Amino acid sequence: MSETNEVKWRNPLAVWPGGKEIEELPTNAWHSHQDVWRARRESKTKLYPVGRLRYWYKFAGHGGRLWSRMRYWPTRRRVLDVRGEYNRKTLQREKTVADRRPIYWLLCLAALAIAPLLAPSNMQYTLLVAGATFGIYAAINLCWNLVIGIGGIFSLATYSIVGTSAFITAYLSIQYGFSWWMLAPIGAVVGLLFGAVIAFPATRLDGFYYALLTLGLNELCRVYFTTSSEFGGSNGGLYGADSYIPDSWSSDHQLLLGYYACFGLMLAALFLHRFVGGRRIGRLLRMAPEKREAFAEATGVDFRRARVWIFLIYAAALGFIGGFYVTNFGGVSFSIFSFDAVLLGLAMLVIGGIGRPEGAVAGTLIVVFLDKVMLGLGPLRLVLVGLIALLVVLYLRNGLFGIKTQFRAWRDKKKSEHRSTRAEKGGEMLPEEATETDDKGIVYARRFDKMTRDHLKTLVSPEIIEEHRVTLNGQHSDALERLLIYFRTREQVEKYGILNVVPFKNYRIVAFSGHKGVPPRLVEDRIYPSYDAACHGVFLRRVQDLLES
Amino acid sequence: MDIWFVISNAIVLATIYGTLAIGISITWSSLGLLNLGYGFVFAFSGYGAWLTAQYISPWGGAVLAGGILSGALCGVLINALAFIPIHDKPNFTMRGMIATLAINLIGTQALLWWFGPRSKSLPPIFGYWKVSLGDLVLTGDKIGSVVTAILMLVIVLRWMQSSRRGLEIRAMMMNPHAASIVGIGVRQTSFFVMSITGALAGLAAVLLSNTYYISPFGGLTPMIKGVSIALCGGLGSVRGAVIAAIILGFNEAITNVTIGGRYVLITQFLLIIAILLVRPRGIAGLLDRAREA
Repeated sequence: MSETNEVKWRNPLAVWPGGKEIEELPTNAWHSHQDVWRARRESKTKLYPVGRLRYWYKFAGHGGRLWSRMRYWPTRRRVLDVRGEYNRKTLQREKTVADRRPIYWLLCLAALAIAPLLAPSNMQYTLLVAGATFGIYAAINLCWNLVIGIGGIFSLATYSIVGTSAFITAYLSIQYGFSWWMLAPIGAVVGLLFGAVIAFPATRLDGFYYALLTLGLNELCRVYFTTSSEFGGSNGGLYGADSYIPDSWSSDHQLLLGYYACFGLMLAALFLHRFVGGRRIGRLLRMAPEKREAFAEATGVDFRRARVWIFLIYAAALGFIGGFYVTNFGGVSFSIFSFDAVLLGLAMLVIGGIGRPEGAVAGTLIVVFLDKVMLGLGPLRLVLVGLIALLVVLYLRNGLFGIKTQFRAWRDKKKSEHRSTRAEKGGEMLPEEATETDDKGIVYARRFDKMTRDHLKTLVSPEIIEEHRVTLNGQHSDALERLLIYFRTREQVEKYGILNVVPFKNYRIVAFSGHKGVPPRLVEDRIYPSYDAACHGVFLRRVQDLLES
Repeated sequence: MDIWFVISNAIVLATIYGTLAIGISITWSSLGLLNLGYGFVFAFSGYGAWLTAQYISPWGGAVLAGGILSGALCGVLINALAFIPIHDKPNFTMRGMIATLAINLIGTQALLWWFGPRSKSLPPIFGYWKVSLGDLVLTGDKIGSVVTAILMLVIVLRWMQSSRRGLEIRAMMMNPHAASIVGIGVRQTSFFVMSITGALAGLAAVLLSNTYYISPFGGLTPMIKGVSIALCGGLGSVRGAVIAAIILGFNEAITNVTIGGRYVLITQFLLIIAILLVRPRGIAGLLDRAREA
């Protein structure tokens, strides 16, 4: 609808003699019908390069060494999950590290291994003690994770097993002089016995019933050990057990030895987690999560047996850790049975994300740092831990390490929401309709029709309408010709016709029904004096219909 | 140490623990939330009652009302923090439980920070009178506790049976999904549920204040007893909780008399395990009617 009347259409027929043809008429400036298509193809959303594609580094492959792979010696496991493929464009062999977690694990463990050398000297004592505590708690949480995350047994009895084993081994060491290297294995036996007793109800009870039951167990142990005479209720614990740390060493070396021993304990727990969770028993248990036991049973998985097994492994490992705890700290206090210990342990698991070893270790790191290093905060530090756990539970589905999946799911949801707001109907089929239609040609025909109409709408202008009024028949300008061709090729339904009421005097416009036997209907009361005027009236109605569609 | 003393003790303990257990039970069955922040509600309402006694009036009724009101307030707080934001999110049952545990941690530490570790005691609520029935001497405290707890329970249960809100809560206990379909708002009902269960905890806190003095961590043992009773009676069943409270109360009294107070928790635990091995959903719980949360 150009405002400038500069553009003129020259009638090619005007040069012929004898005609009464008009020589020139104002018309629209020409523009390409492809503009609509281009505008449609153009994305209206702002695109950011981050997070829309997964960028993988491609290592060069070597044809000659196609099948040589590094494996852990006794097993057939690959050191790294490397995917080999051919680049589709260059046809070159390339390699992609499909699972980069082992690399991150190695880097983080190396950082932990050299951490004591980097600790600032004024904080060295605090940090090394906290580091030793971290190693022990990380080991406990990894074992706990086996049962909660993989086994699906919501056991809160972890600290009661550790504490019982620690108290019994400490008692044996003090009373009967057991030396330090015997304590951890004895602890494992104690834990196994303890686990065997409480594994009994675990086979019968569902997750939360078991959680409530074991919550009481912790309190039971606390009351029993604090009130019993053998385990020394007076001095807040049982101290004086044999320790593996030689007394003759300097205190710095003692601290370092403690740190590395606890680090080794954590590594052992990681191996246990890997070898229990990643092998047959772990797969059986992942097959039978809560509420899907019936399916697992129907496919022949004996999940009860697997659960008892993993529970016994967990209890024995925790007993071992309990014995180690005693040899590391030279004793154990009643605070291991306190409810806050359970809460802190659960917070460690939850913050990192239940069911993943990296979650257990990272959560332990965060909580132990707050609890043992930020000592200046007083009781507020536990409030802080509780707040972090609360926020994580409220906002994250599966802890810090679940953020990636959760973010992706959220982004996909937002994407599809935006897509649905962008889709404009206009006669075109929506995706849901399109999948329901058998004849896919209709989908494309409608899309083409929509774009044609979008283009034709831009051609309607007062000049074109005037041109049609003046030159009803004969040669037309490009824009008018396109409009007329479109109007002529419409289907029969609602097509307009001209009714001759009184010849040469009286014409009216009707619309065809498109159905056999159904007469046309009058569309308006207006009476046109001539046939040409009625034709122009039909044109105006069609233009209006086009603009309204 | 005669049999009547044992029985009267058992009844007192059973009514108070039963109050707690019914609160936990109602919360679980209507909201699907395992409220392990109950210990904090208990301690909070104890401090509320103590503040009432200190600053408003040491009269028994006012102290009781202070405890009940602050319990209800704390229940509403837990509801707003741990139920409303996540009740329609995936994995709600576990997340809700951990959220209430986190609130318990935060709340008890905040109480410790604010009031200090020294425990507080309340003035006597029911006076010092005694009644002698033959060779049985009942103190006013015992009778008052039992009567108040039973009165409160009867009021709550009558309210749940006769009022419209109560009908909504019972509908949610039966089938939460169907209740939401017929137009019972989960969120608004949850506030009523949590304030009522909080009020029950507040009552128990005031009544138990001369057994467990008011301290930041004093709510733990009552909560564990309440949870044990609710578990043993079958989560979601008021009748089961009453039966379990009576059984466990007798167990506690008998163990105290025969083998000694140290072994109370052990015999209780063994008893619960035995009951749960026979009936995994508790005394009154049905296996197939477990809440599918």
